[in-house]
Amino acid sequence: MKKFTYLLLAVLFASFLAACGGASSNTTSSGTYKVAVVMPSAINDLAFSQSMYDALMKIQAERGADKFEVAVSDGVFVVEDAAAAIRDYASKGYNLIIAHGSQYGASLKEIAPDFPNTTFAWGTAGDTFGLPNVFAYEALSQEGGYVNGVMAAALSTSGTIGVVGPIEVGDAKLYVDGFKAGAMAQNPAIQINVNYIGSFSDVALASEAAQTHAAAGADVMTGSAQMVVGAIGVAEQQGILWFGTQSDQSSLAPKIVVASQVYDWTVVINDILDLMSKGTLGGKVYAVSLANQGLLIKFNPDYSLPAEVKTLAENTIKGIQDGSIKVEVGQ
Amino acid sequence: MRNYVNSLIDGLFPLFATLAALAVGAVMLLLLGANPLVGFGALLQGAFGSPNAWADTAVKATPLLLVGLGICIAFRSGVINIGGEGQMIMGALASISLGLSFPSAPGIIIVPLALILGFVAGAIWGGIPGFLKARFNVNEILSTIMMNVIAVQFMNMLLRGVLIDQNQLGAAKIPQTARLSTAFDLPRLVPTRLHLGILLAVLLAFLVYYFLWRTTVGYKIRAVGLNRFASRYAGIKVEQYMVLSLLLSGAFSGLAGAVQVYGVTHFMITDGTAAGFTGSAGFNGIVAALFGQLHPLGTIPASFLFGALLVGANQMQRATQVPAALITALNGLVVVFVVSSEIYRQQRVRRRAIAEMKKQEALASQTKG
Repeated sequence: MKKFTYLLLAVLFASFLAACGGASSNTTSSGTYKVAVVMPSAINDLAFSQSMYDALMKIQAERGADKFEVAVSDGVFVVEDAAAAIRDYASKGYNLIIAHGSQYGASLKEIAPDFPNTTFAWGTAGDTFGLPNVFAYEALSQEGGYVNGVMAAALSTSGTIGVVGPIEVGDAKLYVDGFKAGAMAQNPAIQINVNYIGSFSDVALASEAAQTHAAAGADVMTGSAQMVVGAIGVAEQQGILWFGTQSDQSSLAPKIVVASQVYDWTVVINDILDLMSKGTLGGKVYAVSLANQGLLIKFNPDYSLPAEVKTLAENTIKGIQDGSIKVEVGQ
Repeated sequence: MRNYVNSLIDGLFPLFATLAALAVGAVMLLLLGANPLVGFGALLQGAFGSPNAWADTAVKATPLLLVGLGICIAFRSGVINIGGEGQMIMGALASISLGLSFPSAPGIIIVPLALILGFVAGAIWGGIPGFLKARFNVNEILSTIMMNVIAVQFMNMLLRGVLIDQNQLGAAKIPQTARLSTAFDLPRLVPTRLHLGILLAVLLAFLVYYFLWRTTVGYKIRAVGLNRFASRYAGIKVEQYMVLSLLLSGAFSGLAGAVQVYGVTHFMITDGTAAGFTGSAGFNGIVAALFGQLHPLGTIPASFLFGALLVGANQMQRATQVPAALITALNGLVVVFVVSSEIYRQQRVRRRAIAEMKKQEALASQTKG
């Protein structure tokens, strides 16, 4: 029993030390940023969360870790836990707090007014709630979806394409709708089977859905959100081509991933930092697109894409960039 | 005296198990290059370091306690309810539907009605597996789990459909409801997130204690759990009481869902999983109840301890910047250790009982001889 008393004392002492440590000053000299990000899935999910993490790491590499400090809370899919984390980071004096998930908006709306000197950013969303210290960002993922769809229809020999989606909302829906539009534009007779599995995280269910698509004769597949790793596994086993989105998914299955639409949030974050240095703490809505280089189509170097399909893809990208191709989805 | 010490040790068993789990967690922290003292310091500070931290712990404990109370009833009658997640969701959906339908009604009418509605919805969702078990002898472990899946998909359907917030800017529509009128917020007790739900939960814990140990129905529920066949022989309608206990168990989970909506989130959003809304309280409530040795009053401190762990672990992740997966692993370790210690505790109780019996026998034979 005595041992436990000592242990308890030790733990209490440790907590006392931590409490003292927490009271350090949070003033920052100009050009130095303390950034915290709260994300719903893991930083290495090869999808939504990773796209933001990669962007932050890229900026940190450019600016230096002493000028751009990054704290991460990943895997926070419970909204109230995220709210606690956001509030905690704000009270610890972080300059920029990124709530990387559309589910965090309602929490931000309540927290941001309590910290008028802190900048908050959230997405994917298009609403700053009229607050002067909130930025919002979204992805016009239908654009890359359209490009992927054009390539998919051009590469499919069976004439059947399978799509594994999470829930029919948000940037996943935009991507899938754009993909359908692109594929139909390339080949109006193409058969596109879309299956929304009702989950962003159920990897096993995603692979089940992929099996079903394969059985239905699909020779090209795509999908959105972090559970697609299950579908990519099935595609790799069966030699089905895969188109990725959100992050570069080539490393998952180098043989079958043709290309990925990558969300590159660096343009957004850099502009936010720029505005912050000029004293603007929020109020702007960003939309990353092919035109502003916030969306990039990354071709898998290990997959030998026929030259005419690559040209087709590049022309499509150009067309969307200069507005000659209109992706009429989500308007 | 010896008995007293023994039962005290039994009562503290889950606590020892938690400490053991944290010790294993310390090794994991070391391997990840984080200082365990800093980590656990942050854990304690996050859970108890400030009035706000205390409030967060209590807020986290509330659904655990409510679900746990239902679990006490179910497990005491010998049925296992793993459907807390689905029952919470159904309770939440029923209660939020009412609030969203009558946004300008007075809160004094809507809030109690919504909580009752949540209670009833949970009761129905828990009662169905109960009925299936009583009528067709369907295994309630399987049926309650399957009812969870149905509830999740039902939630996804409603949040994408009739309940979706129509006033959203931007191209991407988020599957979430509008915020409930602020008039319906459960009253805050102090200027923190602490809401009336926690008082309600503690009050209900005493009520459940009274129900299980001081009423005939409660007595019969426990009798069925102790020995189904003897109970039947004694004239207790066993099936009826199993249905009732699952129904009540579901009702408390449903209430937990309703309290979560009116006290904490004030709106609903789905990421496609049950845990996205419940935070796994439907499962963690089982652990809290086991922690409290399936006693309603024991479940109160157990829920607080577990709530503190959950809140503190998030703080620990922020302080040490270890991957979030470690936090999940740490909570899992606590569950495994606590549940295993419960088995060990039961063995101890049995061994003591047998030793006692042998002593009595020896005494009896002595007096005979």
